[in-house]
Amino acid sequence: MRSTELLPFVVYFAAVILLVATMLGLSWLLGQRRANKATNMPFESGVISVGSSQIQLSVEFYLIAIFFVIFDLETVFIFAWAIAFFELGWAGYAAIMVFIVVLGVALIYEWRSGALDWGQKTRRGLEGAPPIEETP
Amino acid sequence: MSGVNWWAIAPLLVLSGGAVLLMLLVAARRDTPLSWITTALILAAAALSCLPAREAIPQAVTPLLMADSYALFFTALFAICGLVTVIVSHEYLGERHGENEEFFLLVLLSTLGAVTLAYANHFVALLLGMELMGVSLYALIGYPDKLELPLEAAIKYLVLSAAASITFVFGFALLYAAVGVLDYPGIGAALASADNPVLLASAAMIVAGLGYKLSVVPFHMWTPDVYEGAPAPITGFLAAVSKGAIFAALLRWWMASGLYELPGLLTLVALVAGASMLVGNLLALLQDNIKRVLAYSSIAHMGYLLIVLVACGLVADPHLAKEAAAYYLVAYSLTSLAAFTLLGLLSRASGSKELASLDDLTGLFWRQPGLSLLFTVALLSLAGIPLTAGFVGKFYLFSAGVAGSLWGLLALLVIGSAIGLYYYLRMVYRMTLAGDAQPAAVERPGWPARLTCYGLVLAMLYLGIVPGPLMEILRTIL
Amino acid sequence: MVYLLLILFLGGGLAWLSERWHPQAPRWVALGAVSFALLYLAVAVMRLPAEHFSLLPAATQPDTWLAHTRLEWIPRFGIRFELALDGLSLTLVALTLLLGLIALSSSWSEIDQHSGFFQANLLWSLTGVVGVFMALDLFLFFVFYEVMLVPMYLLIAIWGHEGRAYASMKFFIFTQASGLLMLVSIVVLAYQHAQVSGSYSFSYFDLLGSPLDSSLGFWVMLGFFLAFTVKLPGFPFHTWLPDAHTQAPTAGSVLLAGILLKTGAYGLLRFTIPLFPEASLEFAPIAMALGAAGIIYGAVLAFAQSDFKRLVAYSSVSHMGFVLLGLYAWNSIAVQGAIVQMVAHGLSTAALFMVAGSLQQRMHTRDMSRMGGLWLNAPRMGACALFFTMASLGLPGLGNFVAEFLVLLGLFQVAPRVAVVAALGLVTGAIYSLIMLQRSFQGPGDPERAVPDYGGREMATMLLMIALLIWLGVYPQALLDLTQPTVDSLLSEAGS
Repeated sequence: MRSTELLPFVVYFAAVILLVATMLGLSWLLGQRRANKATNMPFESGVISVGSSQIQLSVEFYLIAIFFVIFDLETVFIFAWAIAFFELGWAGYAAIMVFIVVLGVALIYEWRSGALDWGQKTRRGLEGAPPIEETP
Repeated sequence: MSGVNWWAIAPLLVLSGGAVLLMLLVAARRDTPLSWITTALILAAAALSCLPAREAIPQAVTPLLMADSYALFFTALFAICGLVTVIVSHEYLGERHGENEEFFLLVLLSTLGAVTLAYANHFVALLLGMELMGVSLYALIGYPDKLELPLEAAIKYLVLSAAASITFVFGFALLYAAVGVLDYPGIGAALASADNPVLLASAAMIVAGLGYKLSVVPFHMWTPDVYEGAPAPITGFLAAVSKGAIFAALLRWWMASGLYELPGLLTLVALVAGASMLVGNLLALLQDNIKRVLAYSSIAHMGYLLIVLVACGLVADPHLAKEAAAYYLVAYSLTSLAAFTLLGLLSRASGSKELASLDDLTGLFWRQPGLSLLFTVALLSLAGIPLTAGFVGKFYLFSAGVAGSLWGLLALLVIGSAIGLYYYLRMVYRMTLAGDAQPAAVERPGWPARLTCYGLVLAMLYLGIVPGPLMEILRTIL
Repeated sequence: MVYLLLILFLGGGLAWLSERWHPQAPRWVALGAVSFALLYLAVAVMRLPAEHFSLLPAATQPDTWLAHTRLEWIPRFGIRFELALDGLSLTLVALTLLLGLIALSSSWSEIDQHSGFFQANLLWSLTGVVGVFMALDLFLFFVFYEVMLVPMYLLIAIWGHEGRAYASMKFFIFTQASGLLMLVSIVVLAYQHAQVSGSYSFSYFDLLGSPLDSSLGFWVMLGFFLAFTVKLPGFPFHTWLPDAHTQAPTAGSVLLAGILLKTGAYGLLRFTIPLFPEASLEFAPIAMALGAAGIIYGAVLAFAQSDFKRLVAYSSVSHMGFVLLGLYAWNSIAVQGAIVQMVAHGLSTAALFMVAGSLQQRMHTRDMSRMGGLWLNAPRMGACALFFTMASLGLPGLGNFVAEFLVLLGLFQVAPRVAVVAALGLVTGAIYSLIMLQRSFQGPGDPERAVPDYGGREMATMLLMIALLIWLGVYPQALLDLTQPTVDSLLSEAGS
């Protein structure tokens, strides 16, 4: 690749920057500015928002979400293997078995450590833990 | 995969199999002593498995991994460092609240990442190893999850590491765009014929990404905070294994791909090295927390090590430079492990707060002669005083620098070492002060920890007094 | 020779351990170790055939040396554990051990805390110094040169006086940093040798004839010169010395002044000039100027001190200026003078530091304005102080006079003007020495003041040194004969 071939990239890059800068710059130049109380309020179709935006969700939701992502992603690999099943032969079979066993072990581990329980944790030591200490 | 001699990657198999086993074990029965002993045994087995693995090398195991003596040497080193970490951690965690089984599991996984780095001969393996090591380290750093400092450190390390990884991957993407291959020798072959400004940009990004992990100036900002926040044994692991593995991987890539042929890059690395030596040493002067001092000193030491990379590019036969790097890494790993072992053992009885300020050292020499002997030897070794491993390492660096005629960097090395003496000696001096009666009846650590301490002292002195055998080994395998 | 090192090193370890056994034990163990080492050396030297002492120790033939040991150490770099002894080394090793004994005696009752570790450090630094004087592999030399600093640092840092943290740190950083420059020089030298001959070697014998191009040679020489001049100490690198000497415990001062400074002079004589004759010749005017400046500057500063130990320390700077001059005059007489100066200064200054130490122990001050008239209280101590002050200012009949006279004589042939300036040093030396004596021991005193006089142990030590200085002053020929072959061979190596 010669350096002249880079030219399109450079032009493209410059164009992107230019476009974004123009959009932001123009609105900053032309837009009106008022310092009202309502200016900083979130715009929700003219409706004044109600309540705090910081809703506390149970941490289990996140755990479940993460598990979903993990196990869902793992299936991608298994699909990939399944498509190429005959080409990969026994070596592929052995490899995917190792993979699935590791996955299974991980599942057992999560199960046993109580990560799958909702609400009351069976994992010992979590109740009665001291709160986070503030270091001076 | 047929025809592969599995022995060649025996350490990797032992470590990964061990990790799965340990997970099952923890699932079946939560028992801290059981899991730390298992971890220690697995790490020891991994180190030992390097011996039979020697029969099967050199061998490329898939394009990703290269099983050669270089890989095995560093594998053994990292496994041993991991072992020391595990033993010290066991003492450190002690009766601490919470579940400590996963701690050992994470150390195991992190070591696995480091070992993968030692084997890596391809960008994918490099990234895999780096991330495996990094992700486990985030959790390890924040393991005392009821304390503020470790959590802060973990978040900091997580964010900056992620930024570094992104830079690094982007660099490799550019490289791939330019040359179309990702294995080291292929990159080297393509580089020899390629002439492309993208190459330099990509190399710079990759060096920047690795520079974050090595914490060289100007990518060093995270180091002191993370060092201070992380539990002491993990800080030692971070200093010895994480940095060592990244450097080992960088060195292999550097040599295999002939990166030093890019002239701009060499200047860049030289600048980074010089800045690290100066900034690291100067900022270390201002600290009064031992962990922060050691953090800045590690920045300086990484700067010293980078001299080798520059030297590789300037001499006809880079053998000496490679040996210098390997010897220095061994010496530095052992030494920093030893230093943090002291901090780990010192903080055992202190509950949630770690004893790591200079004042905590006062009078230690008379209170706990054994521990302070360990620390003194470690400090002298870091300062590069003769008869310790650090001196021979520094001597090697001088030789490599002289061979490459790097007078500027050598001058900085001398200046840096002179500044370094001040803060190392300050700690020694603190220990020798007559302490105010501060009995704090610390019970003696258990025999594995004591054995480890003696082992580290002996290793540092042995490598300093009789460096011949290790030099011979390095000469034959590199 | 290996045994000599082992005796001292193991003696140190043993002394440390023996503290558990009995608090008094370490000093006896240390005494035993040093005496044994001295005895061992004496017996070994006696056994050598007499004609051996007149052989020229040729660089290429190790058997012409009085003793020679060579063991493989780090084959990768051609580094060997190589020790050799000639007349010069023998003199200095004997001086080292002797001063070791004296240092032990001077700290006999001074150290009451951690005495085991103290004696261990004392012995270890002796080990280092003895190693420096015997090592002929440059790497080994460097190792000893640096390692002896660590126990010395601890001696000052743990048992020193009020400003010990600053002083010990300054001492260590000055000497260590300059040492690193020397290490770079050594590596360059070995690398150049490897370029020419194909293999690394750090052996003195191999490197001596190794060719170097002159511009590189100059820089390499400068690395050595700086390291040794800092240690010597030569003006303007002397600033660590007054602090370190003043703050060190007595035994530390004795060792520092008596022998550690001599390693610098020894290094210049043994390594810097013979390894780089041309560059040294080129550099000689500057070195001599530094020497002369050191003599005058040290004397002027000594004159301005009110602290007893500090005054003696600055007088050391002045005296070591003579050594630098003698060495760079580079003829037989001047070099011999420098060697005699090394020995004589070692003895006289060590003794003065002992006097200062015992004053500090008895009066808890080193400030001379609070002394005065001490002769009334402690006549024996006063007499000793008088004797060593006289020696130090160069009274004929004592060792220092012979030394300074020889240096000036040799120097006059080479650089008469410098010799004239240096001779001024004798006058100024007389001024500050006499002032010191006057302020501390003479003048109106307080007869009621409780300053115990010297006891038997201290008197014996002092008498030993008095006898040696008189012997050196009256019959220096014995020492000159011993070192003559070495000087001749060094001069011929460097092509005069």
